Amino acid sequence: MDILIIMGIGIFVGSKFFPDRHKKKNEKMQIVCTVLIIFSMGVMLGGRENFIQELSTLGLTSFLYFLIPTVLSTIVVYLLTRIFMKKKQKEKED
Amino acid sequence: MVLLTVIALLLGIVYGLSGIDISIIGFITEHTHYILYLLMFLVGISIGLNHGIMEKIREYHIKIFIIPIGIIIGSLLGGIVCSFISGISMNTSTAIASGLGWYSLSGVMVSEFAGAQLGSITFLSNLMREIFSFFSIPLIAKHLNFPTCIAPAGATSEDTTLPMLIKYTNEETVVLSVINGMICSAAVPILINLCYQIF
Repeated sequence: MDILIIMGIGIFVGSKFFPDRHKKKNEKMQIVCTVLIIFSMGVMLGGRENFIQELSTLGLTSFLYFLIPTVLSTIVVYLLTRIFMKKKQKEKED
Repeated sequence: MVLLTVIALLLGIVYGLSGIDISIIGFITEHTHYILYLLMFLVGISIGLNHGIMEKIREYHIKIFIIPIGIIIGSLLGGIVCSFISGISMNTSTAIASGLGWYSLSGVMVSEFAGAQLGSITFLSNLMREIFSFFSIPLIAKHLNFPTCIAPAGATSEDTTLPMLIKYTNEETVVLSVINGMICSAAVPILINLCYQIF
């Protein structure tokens, strides 16, 4: 919920006060934040006890449980958006 | 961006494995949620700069639930298929798939229900889902459509994979992905519990 509130404050600031000329700087800052978040995720994973061992012994089953649900999710969402959001997507792509 | 992401992730893993403790890095990793808050604020500014975006989102009405519903249905179907292939019971299998990419919570929950080994499979499979999202988002954006980019990200579409969605889709999809992430995140603990009891 806090994420949504913060984003809401950002939307307000962006629509009312933020100058357009700093748009690129804002985008660069987003990249910096992204890299830091992903780096932190890596640190957390690397610091996890037995991470490498887990990866080698349970990797294949884990891969199966990643691949099939992810692919099926993508297919189902694609079909649903094609049926229900087609008009909006066309408008957006135009 | 993808390359930068991979490098950052690998450097982080190497640092974590090394056991080295650099105070500034320790400070950053302990306060990641503040970086996420800053990112969300900056994303909000980008959305705010794009005048009229909120009106577009409001036009979706009930259709805003299409993406999270699709993700949940697809993931559960995947869990059922995986059960037949792996021989793991249907309830555990669907519970594993119900993580929707939220590896930390789902790993812990399945560990409690079904033991450490299945908990580790849950952790790793959902972690793989998140990492895969970093690579698949640009491809899906190019070959399918923007809302479908949210599907592999699942519950992570409001935080870790959001930057990729920002980079490769548009402001409208970013707002949809935040809403999707919130719905999926709320659904994960409920789904894991339900799957474990119903199937």
